[in-house]
Amino acid sequence: MGKKFAIFILALSFAALSGSAQDMALKGCTILTITKGVIENGTIVIQSGRITAVGQNVEIPAGVKVLDISGKYVMPGIIDTHVHYALTGMADVNEATNPVTPQIWMKEALVPDHDSILKVLAGGVTTVKTMHGSANVIGGVNVTIKMKYGSPINEMIVSDARPQLKMALGENPKRLYGQSKGQTPSTRMGNAYVARKAFIEAQEYKAKWDKYEKEKAAGKKDLTPPKIDLGMETLKQVLEKKIAVDCHAYRADEMVWLINFCKEFGIDLIQISHCIDGYKVADILAEAGVSYGGWVDAWGFKEEAYDNCPWGFKLMHDAGVNIVVNTDSVSPGTSRYLNVDVAKVLKYNDLPDTEVLKMITLNAAKALEMSHRVGSLETGKDGDLAVFDKYPLDSTSKCLMTLIEGKIYFDYQKDSITATAKGEMK
Amino acid sequence: MNVMRLKIRVLALVPSFVFCFLLAVWGVFAQEQTILIKNGTLVPVVGNQISNGSILLENGKIAEIGTDITAPSDAYVIDAQGKFIYPGMVALMTSIGVTGYPGAGNDQNEVGVSTPHMDPYDALNPEDSTIEVTRMGGVTTVHTTSGSRNVFNGKSVVINLEGNLAPEMLLKPYAAQIFNIGARQTNRYPSTLPGTASLIRDKLNNAVLYAEKLKKEKAKENQKDKKADKSKETSSPFKRDLEMEALVPVVSGKVPALFLTSNEVTIRNALNIIREYKLKAIIQAGEGIQKYADQLAAAKIPLIWAGTTIVPNRWQPFDFYYCMAGKLAQKGVLFTFAQGGFGSGSHGVRNLPVPAALSVAHGLPEAEAIRALTINAAKILGIDDKVGSLEVGKLANVVIWSGSPIQMRSRVETVIIAGKIIPMTSVQTRLRNKFDKIVRDRLNRKGKKK
Repeated sequence: MGKKFAIFILALSFAALSGSAQDMALKGCTILTITKGVIENGTIVIQSGRITAVGQNVEIPAGVKVLDISGKYVMPGIIDTHVHYALTGMADVNEATNPVTPQIWMKEALVPDHDSILKVLAGGVTTVKTMHGSANVIGGVNVTIKMKYGSPINEMIVSDARPQLKMALGENPKRLYGQSKGQTPSTRMGNAYVARKAFIEAQEYKAKWDKYEKEKAAGKKDLTPPKIDLGMETLKQVLEKKIAVDCHAYRADEMVWLINFCKEFGIDLIQISHCIDGYKVADILAEAGVSYGGWVDAWGFKEEAYDNCPWGFKLMHDAGVNIVVNTDSVSPGTSRYLNVDVAKVLKYNDLPDTEVLKMITLNAAKALEMSHRVGSLETGKDGDLAVFDKYPLDSTSKCLMTLIEGKIYFDYQKDSITATAKGEMK
Repeated sequence: MNVMRLKIRVLALVPSFVFCFLLAVWGVFAQEQTILIKNGTLVPVVGNQISNGSILLENGKIAEIGTDITAPSDAYVIDAQGKFIYPGMVALMTSIGVTGYPGAGNDQNEVGVSTPHMDPYDALNPEDSTIEVTRMGGVTTVHTTSGSRNVFNGKSVVINLEGNLAPEMLLKPYAAQIFNIGARQTNRYPSTLPGTASLIRDKLNNAVLYAEKLKKEKAKENQKDKKADKSKETSSPFKRDLEMEALVPVVSGKVPALFLTSNEVTIRNALNIIREYKLKAIIQAGEGIQKYADQLAAAKIPLIWAGTTIVPNRWQPFDFYYCMAGKLAQKGVLFTFAQGGFGSGSHGVRNLPVPAALSVAHGLPEAEAIRALTINAAKILGIDDKVGSLEVGKLANVVIWSGSPIQMRSRVETVIIAGKIIPMTSVQTRLRNKFDKIVRDRLNRKGKKK
């Protein structure tokens, strides 16, 4: 009980701390701006939640709290574009009762004070997209959140970027419906049919509504509006490009099919998740403007995951693919050390360090259509950043502080077992 | 006619010339030879680091270590200027060699609650694609198990990741019996943790009795031999029990019992059983270890530490498990890391350094981390006389790295296993070569069109 009480008090003080926005300047650090090189012995100023100055010779305005973090490294807050945490639980990740469930909105399972948020903040993560699972060919609408632990839900959800609908191809829907339930889809042909049928219905639904709206605008009397179908409402918004798509696909043939499918229906495909075979069709991904969203070297855990090639990043980079390394974390797993995970790209590929750091920052921001706000340290962008004790691509580095919009959400000195001896081993 | 014959003979020689040429080209690979690696930073793990160090490998073993070794005339010389020379890493609890393709290819986890007689050596496939991928990550020796789903899973073996036939790979047969003390069964006994503990005791009791019976039987056989009287068969013939036979070396303390645990309770039950039956033991643990580190150190029970990447619960700070390896080292627990980081089963063994790196970031000295991945693992498996460090007389399992193995960006430059230089190819490099060409060709064509 005592322990729980102590945690409660700590949580209170934490909430108090994170509740107060404060203009802040971090000085004496090495700043990895991502877009404008590395600044040694630099200063970064955050006012009203935004970065107002970054550089070597920056004048710190009066009234701004100064933190001397000499010798430390500052990078943009890490972004994970594929996760399944900060939710009520795994039970609410997959509405696995029908292969088409676009009426599902993941924000309705979001838990703003979920412990997983604290755990990933400790790894420098500031933004994630928490997603529907891959049971259904057309799943639910994902939700992108800033990791503002304990904030009201509408402050966490990023509302000025387009929502993204989760779709899934390949083995998972085949297994879930075909093998387990003996229904369509049980093949990749079935997956394709299910997706096509749904979007054709959506086109018809949209046409009905468009006609109605047009007639209504023209002043026609005695109109009966078409019946609202919540799933079709979502797909209608996809056809109207108000919602984009993130689709789970492992195999190259599926990716090519998917890109053509999206072209046919006028769907904005933003990211292909898992994307194991992405390197095989790197030029096609680049041409379609689709982000690679996947792991560095996970492979072999199922048949469609057998062709991973960790050497493929150089090829994708040369072809011009927007490469995003994400985690698919549930527990929240690898999300907590994405800087260590992404460094593996350099084990296999000759690429500049900045290009690799982009895979968990700027490129990820692009895949969320948020690069105007996050992903690099530039004047005007959100004050989202992570402070590391060493160079973040050093695998023995650790995060010391995480800021979102200028507020400290993680502080090693207050939150680590080493610094506080909380829960110390007996 | 003679001319024709001559022509045919000459023609017949062509393939053998080609063959000889290929042999010459491939001669450096997969052939035990004298190798001198020089000018590298040598990290022997046991003993001090040697800058500008050299190591001579002869007859598949380490022949000499130092700074000034003259290469024998037939030696293949590798200049490791600016590189780091480490012993190959040793990974415990893998399914490498029995992984196969997903589905029918997998040969772990035989059906049953008690299958201690299953031996992964009987299914070992030198063509398993994880072998090439894993050794290219600097892991040269692995402990391959029969699985983890049953209470008694079976035997486990230690193999070197080189060889065309299973016997060439085998380093140690029956290295440990794998117990999963948390393997509750669905709809059959044992379905609870007290049940699994009870089943283990039952079987071990039977094994003790069987061992005694076996002893008596042997004594009887000896007497029979002495009397040389085989005409009068008095007793019924001895009926062999393969399940019990597999447990005899465990209850007699010759083969370690490796207990997979999942929480405080299963660690406690395992420790009790180990004490009651005086077992030689190894424990794999994650959750709950903080309460038992002292006991493990005092009882000298080695640990496979599988908890670095566990997500702490909401009452535990974020670094609760990141810090654990450092504390285990301080308390003097002999430990190694379990395969970690992202990946799946044995496909992720190449990421063995991930938990080590996270632990170093949170207090474990780097040298301890390297020891955990090499010599400690070898000690736990009882093969430290053969591998785990760079010492004269040990097997020539040597890896040349561009940096420290616990830095994710470090590259494995050369892998030598039992004195053989390993070709740096795998299913993944073959895919790279194939698609690099295909995609770049397509890009060039598109570029020309524009």
